Amino acid sequence: MLATSLLALPAIAAKPVFEIEIRNHLFEPSEIVVPANTKIKLIIYNRDSTAEEFESYELNREKVIMGNRKAVVFIGPLKPGTYPFFGEFNPNTAQGTIVAE
Amino acid sequence: MLLTSVIIVLREVLEAALIISVLLALSRIAGIRLTWIRWALGTGTLAAIIYAGSTAVVSDWFDGVGQEVINALLQVAIYVCLVILAMYFSVDHRAEEGKYLRLRLLMVIGVSLAIMREGSEVFIYLSGSISDLSQFTSVLTGGLVGAGIGISAGVLAYYLLLNLRRDILPYLSTVLLAFVAAGMAGQAALLLIQADWLPSQQALWDSSQWLPEDSVPGQLLYALIGYEASPTPVQATAYFGGLLLLLVLVAFHRYTQKSRASD
Repeated sequence: MLATSLLALPAIAAKPVFEIEIRNHLFEPSEIVVPANTKIKLIIYNRDSTAEEFESYELNREKVIMGNRKAVVFIGPLKPGTYPFFGEFNPNTAQGTIVAE
Repeated sequence: MLLTSVIIVLREVLEAALIISVLLALSRIAGIRLTWIRWALGTGTLAAIIYAGSTAVVSDWFDGVGQEVINALLQVAIYVCLVILAMYFSVDHRAEEGKYLRLRLLMVIGVSLAIMREGSEVFIYLSGSISDLSQFTSVLTGGLVGAGIGISAGVLAYYLLLNLRRDILPYLSTVLLAFVAAGMAGQAALLLIQADWLPSQQALWDSSQWLPEDSVPGQLLYALIGYEASPTPVQATAYFGGLLLLLVLVAFHRYTQKSRASD
């Protein structure tokens, strides 16, 4: 999973890039593993036609992603641990976790 | 779906309702007509709809962090409005008619921006369910319940403030405005951290075990004083710096106005 979701672009920025998709109000993948103590660029693609709000109290992040659009969210540096996130507009289905290790 | 929409709308309405009730109570006591609120609600709602409609475009600005940057700018603008209003209201301006116009204008701007910021998310959320009628009805019902609770809390705060002893109200509202404004400064910093415009650091502390942000008291404190369970040093500096700056400016303004009055 790490290999598929990691898309490092060292020439542009030193920050590792991770990608998540939203499909049918679900996050894919719903769990991503990121390096601890490192700043990360998270790109979230919303493949649904309706907007979603990426939200995490543990990560202190909140961002609206319009339908069929993508959004960039910078997270970290994170201490090793598990950080849940969810889609505020569909909190029952859209759930995921970021594992920093 | 129903409960989700209650919570989403309530969260957005609560903060604006609190600012509005403090400013209405202060206006009432200063003898300012309350008609400014109609303008603020009207312009704010219109601005929120336009902003919601432009979110897709705005998001792409500045390499994908346009939403953060524009929202941070809005928060800073609201902060500035609240600072000037706190200064104005700390002194009795009853004799100066001209200042009332400026004061009303400033309240319209500040409250409109707050409604624009909070309201746009509500409109984006509502528009997502518009294609499905049964879902839309459920979302709209929940939204109305959420808005109702938020507005009731604002009305309650308004009457509580008006029933205070008149000599306490100016101090209490300065403190309330100061904390709400500090929350705006802290939020602006957080947004710029999320955009990678300000350095991101590890949290100074983590009080989420004792007071989670998603609990009811956590949400209330968020609306009231901008509570964050795990702020970073930059965020905390913006918050406490913003708080201190407002209080110093209000104290300085009171001092200069008093010494001018005694001349």
